[in-house]
Amino acid sequence: MTALPRLSTVLLAAITTLVAVLLYSPLAVPIVSSFFTIAHGNVDWSSPTLATYVALAENHDILAALRTTLIVGVCTVVLSVVSGTLLALYYHSRRSGRSLLQFIIFLPFLMPPIISGLALLIFFREIGLERSLLTVVIGHTVFVLAIVYRTVLMRLQSMSRTLVEASYDLGATSWQTFWRIVLPNLSSAMVGGAILAFALSFDETMITILVTGTQSTLPVRLWAMMRLGFSPDINALVALILMFTVLLCVLAARFLIPRQVATERT
Amino acid sequence: MNQNTDLLTLRSVSKSYGTVPVLHDIDLSIKDGEFLTVLGPSGSGKTTVLRLIGGLEPLTSGEIRLDGQDISRMPINRRPFNTVFQDYALFPHLTVSGNVGYGLSVRHVPRKEIARRVAEALELVQLGRFTDRFPAQLSGGQRQRVALARALICQPRLILLDEPLAALDLELRRQMQEFLKSIQREIKTTFLFVTHDQEEAIGMADRICVMQAGHIRQLGTPHELYYKPNCEFVARFFGENNLVAGKLGSVQGELRSIETALGRLVCSISDQPHLKTAADGASAFAAFRPEALHLADAKDTDNRFSGTIADMAFAGSSTVATITAGADHTGQRLRLRMPSRVDGSTLKSGATISLAFAPHEGHLVLA
Ligand SMILES: Nc1ncnc2c1ncn2[C@@H]1O[C@H](COP(=O)(O)OP(=O)(O)O)[C@@H](O)[C@H]1O
Ligand SMILES: [Mg+2]
Repeated sequence: MTALPRLSTVLLAAITTLVAVLLYSPLAVPIVSSFFTIAHGNVDWSSPTLATYVALAENHDILAALRTTLIVGVCTVVLSVVSGTLLALYYHSRRSGRSLLQFIIFLPFLMPPIISGLALLIFFREIGLERSLLTVVIGHTVFVLAIVYRTVLMRLQSMSRTLVEASYDLGATSWQTFWRIVLPNLSSAMVGGAILAFALSFDETMITILVTGTQSTLPVRLWAMMRLGFSPDINALVALILMFTVLLCVLAARFLIPRQVATERT
Repeated sequence: MNQNTDLLTLRSVSKSYGTVPVLHDIDLSIKDGEFLTVLGPSGSGKTTVLRLIGGLEPLTSGEIRLDGQDISRMPINRRPFNTVFQDYALFPHLTVSGNVGYGLSVRHVPRKEIARRVAEALELVQLGRFTDRFPAQLSGGQRQRVALARALICQPRLILLDEPLAALDLELRRQMQEFLKSIQREIKTTFLFVTHDQEEAIGMADRICVMQAGHIRQLGTPHELYYKPNCEFVARFFGENNLVAGKLGSVQGELRSIETALGRLVCSISDQPHLKTAADGASAFAAFRPEALHLADAKDTDNRFSGTIADMAFAGSSTVATITAGADHTGQRLRLRMPSRVDGSTLKSGATISLAFAPHEGHLVLA
């Protein structure tokens, strides 16, 4: 009776390991090669070096692109969190037009990015808005809005209706109820949504290429570099982006698991 | 604080959700300082009554008066009532003291006074040591007491409690029942307590309001409801009872006869004028409690009949015999409850016995 479960556990572990190795080993290559020189397909393990990172730090184009990416990311996060939260509150209050609204919010996220990007491009041209960082921010916001909206709405729907009722019952006004009860209970969902929005904005490429002016964001820059050939500092850049993305995912998970679980452990 | 003045009055209050009527023409007066329990099966409209009084739902028609003033349209946050919700509705992001002080803090009471009154309220519910805990770190009974302290601190005229003990286990529920009663005696505030548990209602209430299907069936002290139910529903719902169907017979002073399958029974109709005036031959039930039924002896002249014991059940302090009586001892099932004895009962299943109950321990309800 005990042999069979043990055998299956071992098998399961082996399969899991194999899948993980197959899926993730390509990701390890740029990290390894950002620290070691590779010649004729062989890694030279003897001389670890940070040369690729130094080269990266001296590449002004990349630094400028990084700055642009951060500016766009922060603006997108602020815009999408504020509007996504307001839209979720509107949907939750059961006013009219809510299903149509939800459909419109999800549309740009579900459509192929090239379609969203072209639609935006045509729209900006029609209203005479020059392509710039502003158009990039608008494009990103339209794209990530659904994620923030969905995250906040789910928290709102899992929040007991009696919390709001209890607040009124204890004499609070609607304003006090919103600031003291509703918003604090949404805050971790908002932070989680913000991190996801930032991560999405950080590596959004297709829409950005279409609606940006002269400035390029990091993924767009990377794209351009790739076309010219493979330089070692790309390895360093990919390694950095990879680490940063992992960090964001860990953070987002932290904020999005329910508070109850977190506090009951203490 | 005069137990005879009305604090709150509901006048022909009706409520519909959409087109579905939920409450029909409710009239109810709550006296200042009393512990009034609303009792009824699930779905009878108890929560709705509470929500209308608290202002969480608008009335469909009728009015609610507080000290004689119509408050039907007063917004919820201005009504001097506080609710202990069925799920407690504690704010998860605030500590115990944050929760308890909330009602004062939204009214801009100075910090120092809030701290003092929170400490007092927590002392009252015996949670002085838990001020900095979050609701998730408390047990069910403790959350319950935080919810109570949070409602008390605003010094409401009326505290509304919606099945506050339903989620607790039996032992804790008993403790909390006593605890709630003692707090109510101490702060002398009016309590409106909703429950579907009639034992809980009997144990706690000054008066009980029995609801069924959106109607108030009877309002009275536990004693009145137990011994003088005014309808079949209350007679069956409130405590264990034996009901025997029949046709009303003649009135003899405070007694009236009824013709049943068990023969002619005589029951008390004191203080129940509607039973005195009811027509001869009207359908009714003779009702008598299991503890009123006993083995007949020579003194018993009225309400004598025989039956067969179908089952004996030991229930701790008492033993309950299930008896079949009536023609051929088949039709009517009755229960007889007697104190348990260490030697066990002399009665055995299958035995045929002679039974009786005293006329003043039986009553009548119209069918
Ligand atoms: N918001 C609502 N919408 C529609 N029907 C409701 C609503 N709330 C309660 N009801 C109905 O009203 C009736 C009484 O409910 P309630 O007052 O909660 O009963 P109780 O508390 O006695 O169990 C039930 O039949 C219930 O289905
Ligand atoms: Mg209820």
